[in-house]
Amino acid sequence: MKHIVKIITLLMAITTVWVGLLQTSTIPSSHTWLLPIYCVVSLGCYGLLMVGVGLMQFPTCPQEALLLQQDIVEAKSYLKQRGIDVNGS
Amino acid sequence: MELADRAVGFVLSFISITIFTYYTFWVIILPFVDSNHFIHKYFLPQEYAILIPVTAGVALLCFISIFIGYVMLKSKKKKA
Repeated sequence: MKHIVKIITLLMAITTVWVGLLQTSTIPSSHTWLLPIYCVVSLGCYGLLMVGVGLMQFPTCPQEALLLQQDIVEAKSYLKQRGIDVNGS
Repeated sequence: MELADRAVGFVLSFISITIFTYYTFWVIILPFVDSNHFIHKYFLPQEYAILIPVTAGVALLCFISIFIGYVMLKSKKKKA
């Protein structure tokens, strides 16, 4: 419940700032009308950019991958000895 | 494997930067430019700057609600 209240308060604050900007024309009026949509679009763009950058910088660990494959082969042979078959499903 | 990941990441960031610069130009810089300038040929009329994001948002909302409804129906049918 408290989280929703926080989010709504934040939205109210942003709306009052926007209406205040509309009343006192520090920025030209046509720009102020387009400001919310511009903010939403740029927020979406920023999220996409962060996803792309994270994808590009994701570290793969080739040695660990090799060790993991060896572990899997070991575990499979061990379990097969004990009579449990884990070869895919 | 990591090359494919890098390529996809690069394509995503490139698309996002393109959209951001195009939209910034469209909304903020173009109203200050003379209407006789040649640059206006490369940008759609200003009404589309509002229409396209709003339609995209509405389409996204519809898609999400259809997907949620479909998943809920499928899970209910499997239980019954």
